[in-house]
Amino acid sequence: MSGVSAKFAPRPVAGWQWWRHLDKSSWIWLLVIVVLLLLVANPMARLIIASFEQQDTGAFTFANYVAAYSRPRYVAALFNSLVLGLSAAALALVFGVPLAWAVSRTDMPAKGLIWVSILGTFIIPPYLGAVGWILLAGPNAGWLNRVFIALTGADKGPLNIYSMPGLVLVTACYSFPYVFVFAKSALDLVSSEMEDAANILGAGNVRTTFKITLPLVLPSILAAFILVFLEAIALFGSPALIALPGRFHVVTTQLWQFFEFPPKIGVAAAYAMPLLAITILMFWLQRRLTQRKGYVALTGKGGERRPIMLGRWKWPMLVFCMAVCTLSFFMPMVVIMQAALAKAWGRGFSFDNLTLDNLYFTAFENTLTRNATVHTFVYAGAASAIAVVLALSVAYMVNRELVGRRAGHVLSFLTMAPFVIPGIVLAIGFYAAYTHPPFLLYGTAWILILAFAARFLPIAYSNCSAALRSINPELEDAVRILGGTRLTALRRVVLPLLKRSLAGAFILVFIPGTRELSSAIFLYSINTQVLSVLLFDKSDEGNFEMLAAIGLILVFITVVLILIGFRLLGRDFMLRRTAA
Amino acid sequence: MKLPMTRILPLLLSAAVAVPFAAAQAPMAPWEKTLYEAAKKEKEFTVYTAHYNTEEIASLCAAFERKYPGVKCNFVRTTAQVAYQRLQQDIQANTPVASVFSSTDVSHYPDLKKRGLLLQYEPNNLPKMVDSLKAYNDRDYAYVVTAAALMLLTYNTSLVAEKDAPKNWPDLADPKWKDKVAIGHPAFSGYVGTWVVLMKKLYGWQYFEKLEKNKPQIGRSVNDTVTLLNAKERWVAAGPEATTLLSRDKGNPLAVIYPTDGALLMVSPSSVMKNAPAPNAGKLFLEFMLDREAAETQVKSHSLSVIKGIASAPGAKPLEQIKIVRPTEEEITKGIPEVKEQFRETFGI
Repeated sequence: MSGVSAKFAPRPVAGWQWWRHLDKSSWIWLLVIVVLLLLVANPMARLIIASFEQQDTGAFTFANYVAAYSRPRYVAALFNSLVLGLSAAALALVFGVPLAWAVSRTDMPAKGLIWVSILGTFIIPPYLGAVGWILLAGPNAGWLNRVFIALTGADKGPLNIYSMPGLVLVTACYSFPYVFVFAKSALDLVSSEMEDAANILGAGNVRTTFKITLPLVLPSILAAFILVFLEAIALFGSPALIALPGRFHVVTTQLWQFFEFPPKIGVAAAYAMPLLAITILMFWLQRRLTQRKGYVALTGKGGERRPIMLGRWKWPMLVFCMAVCTLSFFMPMVVIMQAALAKAWGRGFSFDNLTLDNLYFTAFENTLTRNATVHTFVYAGAASAIAVVLALSVAYMVNRELVGRRAGHVLSFLTMAPFVIPGIVLAIGFYAAYTHPPFLLYGTAWILILAFAARFLPIAYSNCSAALRSINPELEDAVRILGGTRLTALRRVVLPLLKRSLAGAFILVFIPGTRELSSAIFLYSINTQVLSVLLFDKSDEGNFEMLAAIGLILVFITVVLILIGFRLLGRDFMLRRTAA
Repeated sequence: MKLPMTRILPLLLSAAVAVPFAAAQAPMAPWEKTLYEAAKKEKEFTVYTAHYNTEEIASLCAAFERKYPGVKCNFVRTTAQVAYQRLQQDIQANTPVASVFSSTDVSHYPDLKKRGLLLQYEPNNLPKMVDSLKAYNDRDYAYVVTAAALMLLTYNTSLVAEKDAPKNWPDLADPKWKDKVAIGHPAFSGYVGTWVVLMKKLYGWQYFEKLEKNKPQIGRSVNDTVTLLNAKERWVAAGPEATTLLSRDKGNPLAVIYPTDGALLMVSPSSVMKNAPAPNAGKLFLEFMLDREAAETQVKSHSLSVIKGIASAPGAKPLEQIKIVRPTEEEITKGIPEVKEQFRETFGI
């Protein structure tokens, strides 16, 4: 962003008066809109058109819609997805908000450990986590069930991962980090003065938290809720592993059927339409809930942030946090490591069954995994950069009303919409849109990078938008009043203030980018293999030792990269709060 | 396909270095030499395959490159349906990638052939093919068999003693295996689809109504049964011979049983595409698949040899001692879409 704006920055040369007074930023906004159209609107339009087209002739028809909703089984899958989305998002709030509050606002001990485990959780691809949970809570042989049987002498364990509650748990486990990061970055900005005011007026800590602190970060929590909801209903990997053996369908597994030979793309497109409608509904709700309320927490007047003393509640809070991390991170990782380090994981744990061969082979001997590893991180990095720049630009335009209010709504809808399109369907849209000149991208790395960028644009956008909303425009107004351009205000005020939020947004896109499966599986080609596709192939090859080894390497490298990122950004990026 | 210079250079270099070695190998027949020269000009080719797992196709490609230096073998390994979907995408976008297409769903081929998308090519190595498999080749040679494998009964040896293990397909429906059976899904797996057609043919749909009472766990691929048995989540399964035995080789407690009423023979064809970017390399690969090096590589991975005179892997039962069954091609092509729907009705997914 700063590179682009620097190019357009005014130069103090005489005779450039006209040039100086022209608002150059509008060109950037125009460019952003064009990119957005290409990235989101074009593939989406193709999708909508396909839903009304006869497959071979291209003639107008409603038959796709009839085919998509004529069977009770198909409609039941829609309902299941709705249940899954709402329950998983609610559970993710239960997991994520207390953790964010504890890490951000209190003097709870072992914050660093909690934070690192949440980071680890976020990095584990959901389908890898699902595999871990199948081993933990499989009805016949799950480790937890076996422990239960050993302890109680019962003849059957209580847990069955192959059920809706099981799927909800696994989905919430691997999406609550969104809630955590969103809520935490907002909580980091809430000044203690506001809480002090409540304290002075006689409110205790609990009351202050529920009446002042949490309502102030409501937009972030809502945005995270929506994000988790949308991710949950667009997930393919975990439902394929858990719902199918549990004998129920969700939208994505049902969509898979429409791609069976002969693929019914029109029916799939028609079947994906309710997802779009739900997105629209979600945004309308969000606007209804947050409109006419101010959430500006970061003003030009400074503020101080102090941790809340938990006293004797310190330890129960830590126990809760550790419990969440144990469910989502420690237990599944132990299972995955056991498999990755086993010669034959079916033999269980024993010292003569240990080997590093799987890891060594994956990391050093297999060119396929080596190339895929490089691709994975390069593509995810490029996609995050694109997504963050785009998201910040759109968020800024919308929040500062640089375009009309109505146009703003359209822009923000466009930016958020890709998330709800299941990756498979987004891939088909991309494929339909970018396989013909002048946009011949199929077979290149760009189609993956752009699809990833589009797919995770909403994450970057919610993050940027929530962060921007917390900055009072008076800061920029000051720059403008003093003669600075909008770009100067952006560069000198907004970007420095948002540096950490932007880095957070980058990481939030980077991580799902490294584990993205559903769009990659249709858009990759031989020269653009990524690890997620390799992992998925392994999941139905019966070669579990290799699957776990690849998963472990993916998680390990991502953790290292991100820790390096933190080091570069300064230690206080997540671990320590700084005063504004 | 365009190649960046950085990739062409090593290719050229390796070709230059390797050619003298190639000459030292077995002398090539004239047709082979001609084909090889033409393939070398194409430099590389890609095969879309659902026949093998990643390791097996990787070692097949490596063996090909050893035999024909200077021709690079790329592969995309995925399930049959995804491979077919990709092929369709390429055709529609007019950006052909695959020169060879190898699916496990035999119903893909008649359709492609009807649309004139397959190159008719009668391999010179065809006489080497096991005679009983020749019946599965297309009569116009738009596709020929390049892979054969078995689907049979599998079990976890730490949970089930050999004497208690199921002996034939109906044994899977025995109430003693309630909550202990694993199978795949015909909508995902070409193997399972064919198996369901076979069971329906042998025992009627009642077979699956009875099996349903045992609440089998349903994975996607036929290979998922290997994972479920290893996890001890399930005890017995209708599974693939090759993947199960590969996993057993690593030390996992698995074993296979050749059903007394017949193991299912899976034959999977390959074809050279008419729009192949490298048609000569594609033909050469088909020839390679019908020759000794490929057969030996496949046998090592517990697949069956499609050509004569290859010893089976140590510990594997020789093919002629196994009772083998297979529905006809018409039964499979017509039957798979039907049984997918029936399967969903019975099992609810």
